[in-house]
Amino acid sequence: MPPEAVDGTPKILEARGITKVFGGLVAVNSVNFAIPERAIISLIGPNGAGKTTFFNMVSGLYKPTSGSFVFGGTDVTRLGAHQRARLGIGRTFQNIRLFGTMSALDNVLAGMHTRLKSGVLGSILRTPGVRREEEEARERALELLRFVGLRSRETFAKNLPYGDQRRLEIARALASEPKLLLLDEPTAGMNPQETARLTQLIGRLRDERGISILLIEHEMRVVMSISDRVTVLDHGEKISEGSPVEVREDPRVIEAYLGTARTG
Amino acid sequence: MATTQEAKTGGSTLEGLRASSWSSRIAVAIIAALTVLLLVQAVREPGQFTSQLLIGLTNGAIIALIALGYTLVYGIIELINFAHGDNFMIGSFVGVTVLSGTFLGLGFFAPIDASSGAALKVFGVLFALVVAMVVCGLVNVGIERVAYKPLRNSPRLAVLITAIGMSFILQNVGLAWKDASQIPFPSLVSNANILAGVTDEVTFRWKDLFVLAVTVPLLVALSYFIRSTKQGKAMRAVAQDKEAAAMMGINVNRTISVAFLLGGILAGASGVMFGLFNGTTVFDVGLRQGLFAFTAAVLGGIGNLTGAVVGGILIGIIGSMTDQYIGVRWTDIVIFTVLILVLVFRPRGLLGDRSAVQGGGGE
Amino acid sequence: MASPGASLKRFGLPAGLILLALLFPFINEVLGANLMFPVIVVAVYVMLALGLNIVVGFAGLLDLGFVAFYALGAYVVGWFASTHFSGVNFSFLSALPTSGSLPGIHVSFWVLLLAAGAFAAFWGVIIGAPTLRLRGDYLAIVTLGFGEIIPRFFVNGDDIFGYNLTNGTVGIKGIDSPGIPFVPSRGWQQFGTLDLNPWYYTILVLVLVTVFVNIRLRDSRLGRAWIAVREDETAAAAMGVNLVTTKLWAYALGATFGGFAGAFYGAFIKSIFPTSFSFNVSVLILCMVVLGGMGNIYGVILGAIILQGTNFYLLPQINIWVHDIGTALSSPFLANVDIPKYNYFLFGAILVAMMLLRPEGIIPNRQRQEELREGDEDDSATEITGAT
Repeated sequence: MPPEAVDGTPKILEARGITKVFGGLVAVNSVNFAIPERAIISLIGPNGAGKTTFFNMVSGLYKPTSGSFVFGGTDVTRLGAHQRARLGIGRTFQNIRLFGTMSALDNVLAGMHTRLKSGVLGSILRTPGVRREEEEARERALELLRFVGLRSRETFAKNLPYGDQRRLEIARALASEPKLLLLDEPTAGMNPQETARLTQLIGRLRDERGISILLIEHEMRVVMSISDRVTVLDHGEKISEGSPVEVREDPRVIEAYLGTARTG
Repeated sequence: MATTQEAKTGGSTLEGLRASSWSSRIAVAIIAALTVLLLVQAVREPGQFTSQLLIGLTNGAIIALIALGYTLVYGIIELINFAHGDNFMIGSFVGVTVLSGTFLGLGFFAPIDASSGAALKVFGVLFALVVAMVVCGLVNVGIERVAYKPLRNSPRLAVLITAIGMSFILQNVGLAWKDASQIPFPSLVSNANILAGVTDEVTFRWKDLFVLAVTVPLLVALSYFIRSTKQGKAMRAVAQDKEAAAMMGINVNRTISVAFLLGGILAGASGVMFGLFNGTTVFDVGLRQGLFAFTAAVLGGIGNLTGAVVGGILIGIIGSMTDQYIGVRWTDIVIFTVLILVLVFRPRGLLGDRSAVQGGGGE
Repeated sequence: MASPGASLKRFGLPAGLILLALLFPFINEVLGANLMFPVIVVAVYVMLALGLNIVVGFAGLLDLGFVAFYALGAYVVGWFASTHFSGVNFSFLSALPTSGSLPGIHVSFWVLLLAAGAFAAFWGVIIGAPTLRLRGDYLAIVTLGFGEIIPRFFVNGDDIFGYNLTNGTVGIKGIDSPGIPFVPSRGWQQFGTLDLNPWYYTILVLVLVTVFVNIRLRDSRLGRAWIAVREDETAAAAMGVNLVTTKLWAYALGATFGGFAGAFYGAFIKSIFPTSFSFNVSVLILCMVVLGGMGNIYGVILGAIILQGTNFYLLPQINIWVHDIGTALSSPFLANVDIPKYNYFLFGAILVAMMLLRPEGIIPNRQRQEELREGDEDDSATEITGAT
């Protein structure tokens, strides 16, 4: 997809002048950034470039020192993480953060939290409405587990193999029915086959479910093969942006990566 | 710890004010109003006010020594050592036992009391202090070894529950040792007013001076230890980053033990002074006094040694002012309210806690 | 689920236990065991422990001031079902036949039971709302602070600008009994002190309701959110779980049961004093939850029964034995030692030993076992969300 076409589509997320300062250290410096609908955008950069910090600000775990986020036309800068999740920002974590002692199925059900309506009194009385909702939620959760290719349902999340944990985290994030999904190094620690399968899965999320994806990834083959656009951060600043091909040939990017690049 | 803290203080105070403007404005307004009310009292009866201020200072010194124990331990392993207040109680019990000259039914020497000679009194007080400091230091280290060390990698609340358990165990040791009634201390330090010849208005007793005369050298010694000795520097390193310190060859376990030892020593001294100052102690004094001291530690900024002393003195003064102007029976409620308000609205305390030093880096 | 073994375990065991509980007064009478009074008090503590279990076991919030809600519940009954407010003369559906002519407020126990739950929940929210953003250990200390303030307030409350709200250390005496009108039996129309059956069946129903609510909540959307928050606040927030309201629900629901238990206890004992609601009681209830198994409903019930059983039966019994031994050996120390006085030594030791040796409790909750056994030092979760 050529970049001009992307620019023409409506934006799901716009970040304006985002800055984050940690006790005098500027982690992210006035970054402007936009994610079009139904697009896969990759965020790359050397270690410590501020990618995860930026991620945490998008998902609402950190408040930016200055700047604002507009998500689907709403200013979400002041909203907390749970409110953004409700509006449709889902995420995974670089160092997997599943609910370790919940079963795989319960993890997905917990991810569905904002999409369920059962109240406290209804749950205590287990009204027909609550019962129906729980059954439907289970069905949908099982469907999601199948979608990401996970067979074990009752195993504790912490006892799943690594690759399955990554997949379960994606299923859990999908359960909140996100419009924008943030994936923080989803292929980290995976073997080439697993990586290929996951890359394909990410593509399907966009194509079949119409979800926009913001991806932090070190594996350049993944980035280059599925991204519609790539943004490069270095020392908290955006140094390049464009199609994968453009970014790959940008001299500033090459310079930033020289010596610090991880083998991809 | 202390040096890095001082640099931070100004910045973090401003930041805190900016971050929660409405609540801090209300807080500032309330504190200002209370200060004005106090000043009105100070002008109306300056003698009484100054006397209360001095009593607050003395009580505050006793509290500060306990608060240092909370803050030393929290600064290093982020544990609220709930049993610390009860260790303080053990200190006062050891003190009264030493002065009685009798232990386990064996009389070692005649009781040292008000009728003893001056030299014997001085010796007795010093001896009681030293024994209590040693015993409490060792008890604290022992508790850490037995009850906390095995849980170093457990969830924080598991260790806190253990600490509460240890608190009850110590309390019952006290109960079994001296029974449930109030235990009188011999009056070895004079109750007379030093300023009697100068003014009748202000009271500053010999025993107030005694408490300050014991506290100040202890604080100086602690400060020297932390700043200048190798072990003190190791403590600061472990407080900053346990793993990095271990990689630099610092013995983390020993450093943690030293923190408990120091805390225990100070609690022991505080316990004996408390007994001599108030003339009495009881097996469950540790809960109340410990909570006061914990409030002081949090008020000053937990993990911050200067903060613990400042907090201790503030709590002492708040207590003595409440005693005088609101009523003794409301003092506990006032101080527990301070505890809650500080934890809720300013958990980093007045001078900033240790986590402020670490900053809030990314994942 | 279809296998007979599983369904026996799922329905057979509870049904058996409920049957046993229903028949207990008859068993007690046949055996002449005279255990009604202690069993009723144990049941009150079972209820308290189940209430605290919601807070500590499900949501993972350490509450060291749970006794406050118990006290609030008891004082609601004390205020509105006694002659305390002697300046007023008000009666509403009271079981007392003479309530209309007595001074004070006399409201039906059943109304007050609900009011006590609501009042405790209200205070739970008031206390919880500002504090639940705090880190776990700070939260624990704040709850302890409230737990210490409330009984002291009741002590001092006999003179609030001259007004006697709580009658101070003397407490409130002569609390009205509950009663169920239109029942042919007089013992049920107004619960008496001789026939304890009405009291027993009342607390049994209350305990069963508590268990039922505990189970339903555990298996609900809210129950999942509690586990999620307990495990990883950051991830839970990123999944759309509102941390504050989720914790607040745990706090308020736990407080409600504390309030119910207090109301029942006040009416049953007929007089309440501030000293009945000390920090020790909070720790005792916590000890029940920890001993039985945090988060496990059967475990918590067992923990309450064991500890109150120890308090009421085992320690006095051991005391008698030790005294006998002391007399036989003519040791004045053993003959006169007061063992029940040291019960909190035992409770402290249980807390330490359980945390060191079996943190998951006697009957572990499957999830809690995994959590407590893992070497998870990661607290960054709470710290990050603290900033949001």
